[in-house]
Amino acid sequence: MKYQSLAVIFIIIILPISMILTAYVQNQVQTLQLQISYDTKLTNSTYDALKAFQLNALNSSTSDLANSKLRDIEASVNTFFNSMASNFNMAGYNKDILQNYVPAVVYTMYDGYYIYSPFTNTLEEDDEGATYTNGEKVYGLKPYIFYSCRYKTSSIDVVITYTLDNYITVQGSINNNPVYRYGYLIEPSNITGSGSSIQYRGVTISPSEVLREDVAYPQEDGTIRKISNCPYVKINGIKYYNDGGTWFSMLNGTRYDQSNVFKEENDSAIKYYQDARDFTNWVRTNLGDLSSANAVDSVTGEKIDSFGNYEIFSSESDKSIEDPDSNFNQQRQAVIRYSIEKNLSVAIANYNRYSGETSANFQMPKLQEDEWEKIINNISIISFMQGISIGGKVYNGYSIVTNTVNEEVVNTDSIYLITSDGQYHKATDTDIGNNVTSAYLNLDFERKSVTNNVGINYYYPHNEMGCYSSIVSQSAVDVPENIYEYMAEKGGTVAQAYFTALGRERYSMYKTNNNPTELFKEFSTP
Amino acid sequence: MGDTLITVIAIVLAAVLMFVFPLMTMSDRTDDVSQLAVETATTEFVDDVRSTGKLSMDKYSRFVEDISATGNSYDVQMEAQILDENPGKKTTQAESTKIGENVYYTMYTSQIMDTINPSSGATKTLALKEGDIFSTSVKNTNSTLSQQLKNFFYSVTGNDTYTIAAEHAGIVTANGAGN
Repeated sequence: MKYQSLAVIFIIIILPISMILTAYVQNQVQTLQLQISYDTKLTNSTYDALKAFQLNALNSSTSDLANSKLRDIEASVNTFFNSMASNFNMAGYNKDILQNYVPAVVYTMYDGYYIYSPFTNTLEEDDEGATYTNGEKVYGLKPYIFYSCRYKTSSIDVVITYTLDNYITVQGSINNNPVYRYGYLIEPSNITGSGSSIQYRGVTISPSEVLREDVAYPQEDGTIRKISNCPYVKINGIKYYNDGGTWFSMLNGTRYDQSNVFKEENDSAIKYYQDARDFTNWVRTNLGDLSSANAVDSVTGEKIDSFGNYEIFSSESDKSIEDPDSNFNQQRQAVIRYSIEKNLSVAIANYNRYSGETSANFQMPKLQEDEWEKIINNISIISFMQGISIGGKVYNGYSIVTNTVNEEVVNTDSIYLITSDGQYHKATDTDIGNNVTSAYLNLDFERKSVTNNVGINYYYPHNEMGCYSSIVSQSAVDVPENIYEYMAEKGGTVAQAYFTALGRERYSMYKTNNNPTELFKEFSTP
Repeated sequence: MGDTLITVIAIVLAAVLMFVFPLMTMSDRTDDVSQLAVETATTEFVDDVRSTGKLSMDKYSRFVEDISATGNSYDVQMEAQILDENPGKKTTQAESTKIGENVYYTMYTSQIMDTINPSSGATKTLALKEGDIFSTSVKNTNSTLSQQLKNFFYSVTGNDTYTIAAEHAGIVTANGAGN
């Protein structure tokens, strides 16, 4: 045979093989590319949902109340699906179709979480005009689930509800006496002094302070009135401003005058530390020997093995109860994780019964440790997407995005310090100096809007500029393991302003357990 | 004489068809696979920085190791756009109906490397905040086997003759300096 023929036969054999191989590799490449692009798209959609939630919550003065929060979350879910539709090039597809691929969206909050997933609607009475019928499958927010755990010993039967910080609620019975107590846990030995002279870790807490910020509202004639540096007090999440003797609050852009007259001088921080000391002492006396091994499942009453065996609230030799590595925090994180994991896996597994159009078997993916870390310490949105076919494979993915600017929780890093040079800083700024004048929640530095008949007006409650080394670029900030120890070591006005603001903001945030009538009395002039 | 010439030409042609052609298709596939590996690594690297807000030498080295495992050398360009809300704030203060512009200032590869280079044993991280934009682009700098073979038939030279390239960017969704 001639060389030419040999070559031609070779080509005839090799060419189809090479073509098929090329097509196969291309196909695989495309699948993998789709997969990584889907991860990114899902993160982007989740981030959009978070932004929507943040924007709505920031511009609503009642965003910490349940019904308003539900509305904000519903809006955020809609944003999520709209964003998904455009990100995944499925514009025009509506929520109903995309929902078949999203087994659950989780919104973790301060003391519990919402799961957005399908459920069977139960309607006991048949009503002609009802929107939903009995037994109908509905996509929506399931009831709020608290981060709670039941503990049972021979004398104690309590449910403890944990939160993202050191605030807990104890409900149940101790020695057959009913209890319903709540408060912050702080190592009592770290708080010294009494009355208006309180030191926390050796740092004196400002006994009284006057809070000031700018506020704007539309007047009856349509013009916007802005009061600069208006003194205010914050009670149960609502700010009451003093306009020359008349106190008013703002409710979604409208001024409401109050009949109460409050004291400008504010000692919320002192109260926070005093209450925390009393509460922690109470917990130590009554629940001191409560162990993580006493935790039982709320439904079955069976012991939860994964919690280990250590005393939750008792004092430890080298650690304070509020330290990040204390037994209390270990238990708190374990409970939050157990609760979310359990309810979420049920929600996702149940999804198989609702997903009509996809044949995928929905299962909860295993989240990594660092992802749990994020969920346990922040308000966050976790979204899941499963069952989308990507050429030969089925896409399963999830995304976690955390929300650092919110009214829900006062984190240890949500306090910003204002210095006398007209800038605001992170509390952990390395070159902050000692000329700190005041400290506020990070939320108070965000832009706010008021609407009148002409248009929208914007203002900032605090006019200080963001510091370039800690707010804009974060090039000179410490990342301490234990912020309390770090601040106590730093001392000076930085620590004083920080601990005072942390106590004040935590004391004045909205909580369901608060009794507004009592709080009003506390803040009113006699 | 003429017969010998034809034989030589036939041998050369057969050699080209039987060796160079399969070699070219195979090296093309190798590049495809490298391209995929680089793209995946880049996306993962950028998404990691985006979701944590932190960039450390450790992460960067791991990324460079990942892409170097394909056997090529790469030019990695990073860019961090830092959101500065102060100018917008000044605009709003001067005129309450305006919200001003979001200004970004940019850090390029060399500045980022200066920030994350460990000094005196201490690891340093670049902390980004929510709203910043981080992007990375990767190009191969050596010429791969398939490029060399192609150059044998048609020569293309210049700075932009890369075959493996990946790019990914996105908004940072977490605060890197949180505690």
